[in-house]
Amino acid sequence: MWGFGVVRIVTDSPADIPPVLAKELGIVVIPLYVRFGSEVYRDGVDLTPDEFYRKLVTNRSLPVTSTPAPGEIAQVYDTLAEETEEIVSIHVSSKLSATYEVALQAREQMKKKCRVELVDSMSGAMGEGLVVIAAAKEARKGTGLEQVANLAREAALKSHVYMCFDTLEFLRRGGRIGRAQALLGSVLKVNPIIGVKDGETHPYGRERSRARAIDRVFDFVKSLPSIGELAVEHASTPDEAEALADRLGGIFPRERIYMSRVAPAVGVHVGPHVIAVSALEGQ
Amino acid sequence: MQQVQGGDVYTGRELREMFTAATSWLEKSVPDINALNVFPVPDGDCGTNMLLTLRSTVEEAYRAPDSDASEVAQAMARGALMGARGNSGVILSQIFRGLAEELGGKGSFGGREFAAGLTQGAAVAYKALSHPVEGTILTVARDAAVAATTASAQTESLCHIVDAAVSAAKESVANTPSLLPVLRQAGVVDAGGQGLCVVLEGVLQYLRGEVEQMQYRQPQVMSSGLPNVSRIVQLSAEREEPYGYCTEFVVEGRRKLDRDKISSRLADKGQCLIVVGDEKMVHIHIHTFDPGKVLQYGCSLGILHEIKIQNMDDQYRGFAEMVESQSPPASVATVAVVSGDGLTQVFQSLGVSAVVQGGQTMNPSTRELLEAVESVAQDKVILLPNNKNIVPTARQLQGLTRKKVRVIPTETVPQGVAALLAFNYDADLKENVSIMKQASSAVKTIEVTRAVRSAVIGKVKIGHKQAIGFVDGKLASVGEAPEEVLLRVLQGLEMKQSELITIYYGKGAHRSEAEKVVGLIKRDYPNVEVELIYGGQPHYHYIASVE
Repeated sequence: MWGFGVVRIVTDSPADIPPVLAKELGIVVIPLYVRFGSEVYRDGVDLTPDEFYRKLVTNRSLPVTSTPAPGEIAQVYDTLAEETEEIVSIHVSSKLSATYEVALQAREQMKKKCRVELVDSMSGAMGEGLVVIAAAKEARKGTGLEQVANLAREAALKSHVYMCFDTLEFLRRGGRIGRAQALLGSVLKVNPIIGVKDGETHPYGRERSRARAIDRVFDFVKSLPSIGELAVEHASTPDEAEALADRLGGIFPRERIYMSRVAPAVGVHVGPHVIAVSALEGQ
Repeated sequence: MQQVQGGDVYTGRELREMFTAATSWLEKSVPDINALNVFPVPDGDCGTNMLLTLRSTVEEAYRAPDSDASEVAQAMARGALMGARGNSGVILSQIFRGLAEELGGKGSFGGREFAAGLTQGAAVAYKALSHPVEGTILTVARDAAVAATTASAQTESLCHIVDAAVSAAKESVANTPSLLPVLRQAGVVDAGGQGLCVVLEGVLQYLRGEVEQMQYRQPQVMSSGLPNVSRIVQLSAEREEPYGYCTEFVVEGRRKLDRDKISSRLADKGQCLIVVGDEKMVHIHIHTFDPGKVLQYGCSLGILHEIKIQNMDDQYRGFAEMVESQSPPASVATVAVVSGDGLTQVFQSLGVSAVVQGGQTMNPSTRELLEAVESVAQDKVILLPNNKNIVPTARQLQGLTRKKVRVIPTETVPQGVAALLAFNYDADLKENVSIMKQASSAVKTIEVTRAVRSAVIGKVKIGHKQAIGFVDGKLASVGEAPEEVLLRVLQGLEMKQSELITIYYGKGAHRSEAEKVVGLIKRDYPNVEVELIYGGQPHYHYIASVE
């Protein structure tokens, strides 16, 4: 299906690429691990988002995430090396996860001959996903390794993700709250809007209701200088995501908006009620 | 590791290996832990001190015959005592002492012995301090030990027991700011507690057989659920009192050493005194202005080893610079005029940089406002007067300071809250002024108070002490009870566009009465969310916002 000369794209499960789209664009997704106590699951492989969010609400112990071992990623590269000689491997922000570091090690451990360019997306969720999609589309045109990798690196600088939260408890307990700590501890009930900026968790603002938080995200997207790609994703509120996408359809072609689901490896840190919009600037 | 019925048995070699793993795990966390270090002295070396303590512990362990758990534990306790540094390092060394006492004479050990060792260690650590402070590494050590002991009643598996200890330690670390005000003010968790948590986590990863994976992971700093108020203000303020010298050494006694006697002799020589050890050897840690005297006394007891003296004022300056470089994302500060302890907390929890007490009938002076503006670290300041009568005073400030001051003319508390909520961390002064102004005008304010004298406003007659309700400053209702007036005002409003009512009840109101009003509003407007918050404001029984 993919010619031998075509650059192939590898990413990780926190990119939230819908499985159908991954298949269509030939993107290989490496699962992170999600662990509830002694039960270990491969994100999106042994554990679907539905199962995960159900467990997240009912389980007493908080799950944790861990990266795959370098050997596992090396294996993915080696397997793919039978179909291509060039791989661009795009990963969740190195400030939020060690996956990028592991991929660096994996490249050293490869057995097959294949060039691998690594890209730090400096984002997560569809903020990372849109970078991956842009790279995959470019690769399909037959563009060379360096150009695809550079395109991904440039896209990483123009990718935004805005996520509406009901609670910051998961972000706090998972230790990923970073600068969004400024939004913790409000006496009033608030709905924070948090994203990833320069690779780190970033506080965008807060509103007194979920509806208004979503309004604010809409305004953020609307005020971007340009929109090349747009994605809407949710943890467990599909209808809300559809409604938001319909609304975004007023400023960007509705049929081009990617609809996705927040993967368990991200859900561990953001909780079961988030809704997010990601946008990639460009034409 | 040998498998026996009910649990695993570990030897001295494994004891050493688990803390070797913990050392490399802690090493990754040193900069983060240093950055948290504000108590007892903000010198930013807590992580480094704990690492050096742990290294010395493990190095000594390698000198012992490694099959015997007791021998290794004794060696570790010795290494920890000799190499301990800083408050947290010395307290950490007591955990090893506890383990050594518990494992004494034992060739191998399991989960129960380890839990008992943690308990003993925490107990010894508490005793080593003349004034133990909660919300520090001590609290975390005790909470972890309690959880380990509880778990050991149900399982003998060391891995499960340490797992329980780590979970408890994490929660305990997150809770430290509620116990220790200086942490809460600085918006951090306790550095030493975080360090101990990371050490236990390192042990756990060893027990899980995840030493390989550790190199690709990074310990995470816990956060409290509490607001991060004014870290920068706390640390940038010029300190008037110097901290002196952190002085530490080990005494190898000529005769039997008496820790209690040493403690009482040194008690008035400085702060943060910790004396640990046994009859042969003690480790002394003290913050003093005269290290010479302390050393002289030490010499009278025996031979001194591992002498370390550091100027904490130099360390503090370095630390303050480091913290400033990691300052919160905002380049613009906010200052609000608020009265009432509850409302003050509301504003602080929303991240206001400084609060000036004042409001209706108690307007702050220009000088008070100016002091608040000067106290914040940023050069650009947005003022929220939150009262009509304070707006003119606030407007005068621009001429009195070099800082750029802008006033959002908020006339009520709800307008101020709305403005603060809209604050954008990424935006500059001009943009923030514009979005905060807009947000403050989108909220409707209800205020309910009692008339201080009888009057006629428009066509409405008001009797002395009658309850009166205002909507955006205009008289809307008169009645006997404030609750009745509040309800009537709310019922008189157009609620179609509204989705949220927030009621702040003041000093003169009772929560139970306010809850009745909330019940009635919810009955009338099932789609509107109502939040009841303690405001503690004087004068107004109720302040409410409708948005």
